[in-house]
Formats: sequence, C-alpha cells, structure tokens
Amino acid sequence: MKKLIAGAILLGASSMAFAQPGCGVGAMIWKGQSGIAPHVLAATTNATFGNQTFGMTTGTLGCQTNQSVQSMAMYMDSNIDKVARDMSRGSGENLETLAVLLGVDEADRGEFSQLLQDNFAVIFPTSDTTSDQAVDAIVALLEQNQRLSKYVA
Amino acid sequence: MPIRTLPALIIGLSLCTTAQAEQPGTITRLASSEAWLTLGHYHPDTLGSGYTSQADDDDFFLSPNGKANPEAELRATIEAITRPASGNDNDHARCEFPARDAWIRSRLSLREPEVTCSDYNDWKAELNTEAVTLVFAASYLNSPSSMFGHTFLRLDPPREDGETNLLLANTISYAADAAEHDSEILFAYRGIFGGYPGITAVQPYYEMIKVYSDIENRDLWEYRLNLTAAEVDQMLAHTWEIQDRNFDYYFFDENCAYRLLALIDVARPGTQLLDEVSTHAIPSDTIRWVVDRGLVEEIHYRPSAATRVSHSLGELSPDERRLAAAIANGYVAVDDDEVQSLAPPAQARVLDATYDYVRHQTQAEEWPRDFSAPLSHDLLVARSRLQDQPSLGSPARPEVRDDQGHDTMRLGINTGSTGERRYSELSLRAAYHDLLDPPAGYRPGAQLQFLRLDARLYHDKQELQLENLVGVEIRSLTPRDGFFKPLSWQVGFGGRRAELENGDRAFTPYVDGGAGGSWRITNRIQALALLTGDLEISKHLSRGYDIAPGADLALLRQDHRLSVMTGLRSKSWVVGEHHREDELYMQGAWHIARDYSVRAQLSRTHHYDRYETSWKLGFHAFF
Repeated sequence: MKKLIAGAILLGASSMAFAQPGCGVGAMIWKGQSGIAPHVLAATTNATFGNQTFGMTTGTLGCQTNQSVQSMAMYMDSNIDKVARDMSRGSGENLETLAVLLGVDEADRGEFSQLLQDNFAVIFPTSDTTSDQAVDAIVALLEQNQRLSKYVA
Repeated sequence: MPIRTLPALIIGLSLCTTAQAEQPGTITRLASSEAWLTLGHYHPDTLGSGYTSQADDDDFFLSPNGKANPEAELRATIEAITRPASGNDNDHARCEFPARDAWIRSRLSLREPEVTCSDYNDWKAELNTEAVTLVFAASYLNSPSSMFGHTFLRLDPPREDGETNLLLANTISYAADAAEHDSEILFAYRGIFGGYPGITAVQPYYEMIKVYSDIENRDLWEYRLNLTAAEVDQMLAHTWEIQDRNFDYYFFDENCAYRLLALIDVARPGTQLLDEVSTHAIPSDTIRWVVDRGLVEEIHYRPSAATRVSHSLGELSPDERRLAAAIANGYVAVDDDEVQSLAPPAQARVLDATYDYVRHQTQAEEWPRDFSAPLSHDLLVARSRLQDQPSLGSPARPEVRDDQGHDTMRLGINTGSTGERRYSELSLRAAYHDLLDPPAGYRPGAQLQFLRLDARLYHDKQELQLENLVGVEIRSLTPRDGFFKPLSWQVGFGGRRAELENGDRAFTPYVDGGAGGSWRITNRIQALALLTGDLEISKHLSRGYDIAPGADLALLRQDHRLSVMTGLRSKSWVVGEHHREDELYMQGAWHIARDYSVRAQLSRTHHYDRYETSWKLGFHAFF
C-alpha cells in the first residue's frame, strides 16, 4: 500500500524537477506561483500549455533510498506553503498527507503533528527555507524521536 | 448501413445452426451496437448514413479503414485479440485495447491467447482505484469567463484504512495541448475551429487543487459516482486505450467535459450522456446530466482559497478584523503587544485569517515577496506557539450548487414600445446568465451572455426587425471592501439598433467596454460606477464610425425572488456630429421558479434633443 502511494505520487511528477533530500535545492517557501491565465480565454479553454504527457517512470531517484521520504520530499516541493501553514496550526489535510506518505500509523499521528508544530521554527528557520532543508530537518527530528524514528529508518 | 446489414443478416440467419462466434450477422449487429460505437468514439455522419470516429490518431485503429468503418474495426480487433502472442506481450492488442477486449469477450466466446499485460497492470495497480469522482471546478468571482466551469475525473483509492488520502489520488483530465508560443488570437481561433490536439493527462489531485482552488480561486464540487467495480475497471481500461491518442480539441463541443462523458458512457453502456450534447457541452450542464441519470452517490464541497479567506475574515470580530488588516499591511508587527495580549483562541483566529489573507493577496495582487515572505514566516512561527487551538472552521457548503441553478439556454417573449411604436419581441440566448436571471447557483455580480438574438415585430407596419445580436457580453461587478479591491469591468460586442439623427434606427455593429468599482450598500444591494467606451461602425454614420466615452451609475439587487437594477447611463458621441445620449433605466425580474422569470423594464432616453420613454414586459424560460 505504501509503495503504491509512493508510486502514484511519483507518477504525477516524472516530468518535473523536484527536491530529493540532500540532492537538490527544492522549492523555496512562499516563492509564489504564476498568475491566472487571461480571463477572457479561461472560458471553455482549459488548455494545458506545454507538454503534459506524463510518463509512468517510477525508477530509482538516487540519493535517498527511503521511498517514503522521497515521496514526502516531492510533496513538500510542490506544496510547501500549505504544509507550513498546516504545520503551524498542528492540523490540516496537508499535514495528514505527510503522515500518510511517511506511513505514520494513526495511533502516532497526534504525536507526529505535535512534534512538527512544536518545532516549526526549527523546520522553517527563515523565510527563505527550501523544501529540501525542511525535509532534512523533519527527518532529523523524527530520527531523534523514540516513537517516530521507525518511520524514517 | 441498412443496405449492407440486410444481406449480412440473411447470411447470419442461414448460419445460425453452426453457432459460430464469427457469424457475419452477429458481428455486423455488434458493430452497430451502442457499446461498440462508444468504445470507438463513433458518431453518425451529418451527411450520409455512415459513422466516423472522433479519434484523430491512426494508432487508435486496428483496421486501415477503422476511422469510418466500425464493422471493419470490430473485425480487425477480433482478429488482433485472438492472434497468438509473439514478441513483447505489451504490444499485443489485448494489452493495448483492454476495454475492447473485455467487451468483445463478454459478447463472443473467442480464443484467449495467453498474454501478460505488465505495463497495463502496473499502471492500474498504481492508480489503485476503487471509485471514480467527477470533479467540477466552479466559476470564480471577478472572472465571468470562467462561468462555463471545468470538469475532470478523480480516481479514488479504497477507503479502508488511515492511509487513504484523496490529495494523493490521481485525476484524469482532457485538455488542449497548446504550444506555449501560440498567440492568444491563434489560441482562440484554433480552439474554436480545431487544430489543437487534445490529450488525456493523469495528474495527482493536489496539483489540480493548486491550479483551480489556490491559483484560480474556483470552488471544487466533488460528485462521487456510483459505478460498480467492473464499471470502474472498464473505464480505466478505456482510459488506457485513449490516453496517448489524439482527439482534436474544440472549446465548445469536443472539450474537457465531452471526453469525460464518453468515459462514463463506456463504463456504463446505455448511459448515453453524449446524446445530450448538441452544439456545445458546458461543463456545468454536463454535471446536470450526470446527476439526472442517477450516477451520483455522494457530493462534497471543497471551497477555494479565496472562499476560505473571506470566510476566515468573516469569522473575526470587527476589532480583530481591523487588527488583521493592520498586521497584513505592516502597521502592526506580529509580536506587538496588541497581538500577544489577545486570548489564545482569538490570537489563533487572527493569525490564521491574516496568514490566509496575506497569501491570497500575494498570489492575486502580486505583493512583493520581500514583504510578504518574512511576514508569513512571523505569522506561522507565532501561530506554532499556540498549542491545541483549532484552526478556523471551513466555509459552509452553499445551499444551491452550480448544477442546481437555472438552465443555460433562454427563451424570452416580450411586448413593449419605444416611443409610440408597439412591438412584440422574441429573444433567444444560447448561454449563459445575466445579472437579472435567477441568481441561485451563479456567482453574484457576474454576467456572461453568449449569442443572444432579439427580433421584433412592430405592430404598426407589421415590420420584422433584428433588434440585437449579442456576440459576447461579460460583466463582472465584485464589490470592494477593506480587504479586497477588485476592479469591476465589462466588455461586449455584437450588433444593435442605433438611433440616427433623422430618427431612423439602423442596425450597427458595436464593441463596448467599461471599468470601475462596485460597493456593497446592504447585504443584497450593491452600487456600481463605471467609465465606459463605445465604438459603433455603420455606413449610416457620417464618418463611418463613432466613439463615445461615457459613464454608468447603477444600483443592483440580486435576490432569489426579485432582482432589480436601476441606473443612469450617459454617453457622449464625439466623432461625427457631437451629441449626448442619456438613459435613465430600471429593470426588474420576478423569479417565479428556477427556470421561469417575469421581466419588466422602463427607460427614459434623451438623444439628439429628443426625449423618449420605452417599456418592455416579458416572460423568460430557461431550458
């Protein structure tokens, strides 16, 4: 099941560059996204610009061998603003998604959320933190936690 | 077809006793069945009695004549799926066309060559689909052109354990693959007349949420379909067949919504959703068809980022709201006493709402990062110190869904008079919604009219006249407040009757537009002030054209029973003989039911030093 989720998430991103812990830079938080397509054309167009034919490669990514952490890194790269928001509040569906990607059991979810909320300033020390740095910090925090270290082993 | 079918049937009958699967009659009959035509995307030709497939890709067909001959294609498919495996199994027709394979074998007993479709099976395992949800991206405020909406399918994983997470679910969407460098004009042209390949894309749901919910600020409605496991399988199998195949994309009919309807038709033969499509497939209409056919088991609402921000700000007390605005604009620091002295629940509310607002403004108004990023960071660090404070609740689901609003085509029968001349008028509109139509299910202050024709019969001379031919008319009147300062704007083109100096009314092509602001007076009433510009082109004008700067001041009330708009429009024509055109108007609509309204309007105009009073009364039906 875990493997399937990781596969599914990689499937959507095979054509994008993304962060791998220790291997890339990752997206900077609050970097902003490109604006809205021209309003008048938005009518029924729903076009995709650029090549959107996604491949299905789930090949090895190198650097990080733990597939759950890789998946989390990818998700963080794409959703860092929303993950940071949910983390500061100690709840929310994006935080829930991180837990799912890391395979955190439901019994440990409370502790997981609490740990990340308490250490928000450690995970995001500045307003220029990248997703890559945040992932490394999360992995380090989990490794030091007795109950949660098994999820990043 | 019938001519060819008859001899085939006779041969078929004569061979009945042998009960061969490949009986010619059986195959001819199967080739014209709804299910096969749907699988091949065949549609009856406009001229002649044949069928042509909408697939624009040779690789979609196994027979060289496949595009125009469903029967040849069926025979070629039967031949291909019974061929012994050789070479790479994944290239075998059974693996390339799993939906056809499954359907044909449910009708005929055929030899089953042993093949292992590893590519297809891996793909299916990764999609891990238990149910399918049709997702509708609603229109957003201040962009009436998004009114048509957008649809895509979400493939939901089994819901059995805590690892179920819909953000990670995959989606299937069908879109035009436009080249990045194409200009907007080329883009519009090729979208309407064809020329863009349409592609089926698989993407995670969180990416779709980012585009539609966070960037475009469109609420998402999720309609979980009640497909059985076998139907879901067949839908996926067919998605596999078409996913890398080209179907030319047309904005109005063969668009995003259309191709998804085809997938649902394949999943549940007999649904025949595509039969509803005539000239255009508006995504919100397609949702109605799906709901009407009893395909929906559960509906979920996912508010957009903008909806959430408005809701969060609305949850604050007036003092808290002032504080939030002060923090967002940098007048009050996050660690200021004014913030820190609040009780934890109030502090959490203010920090959450301010953060959401800052992110929204940064996105929508392009606040510079060097201001918004440090502020965002301060807000979240402060928020992370508040333990066990729940975040603000979600916005409530609107009482009326978009698919529960009035239908989009409109027929109006009116009677009225301009000056002394009485007339009867017939009005027909292809789409979509104007400010005085029943507002339930539509965005307030948004109007998009598309192809409206008004024809009048004047009683005095029994003279039939084309009064209006609206090409497109867009109005976007979103009120401004302390937090949001949207521009109100309008744009339109078409043909209309323009009054000449000699009193004649000449049919004149026009383009007009305007921009300004709108402000909320009460809960239901808003005031608007726009500067406008008009261009008319006609041989009856002394210079062949004329331009008029002007202004439009009005009050608008939109309500589920009675909608009213009243105002003053003033224009000054400047190119030919200079003259003013002023109009005081009042329009009202009484909404009798979802699809019926009574309309009335009264106006007094001053033009070329003439005064004239006009009135009109009518009945509008939506269908």
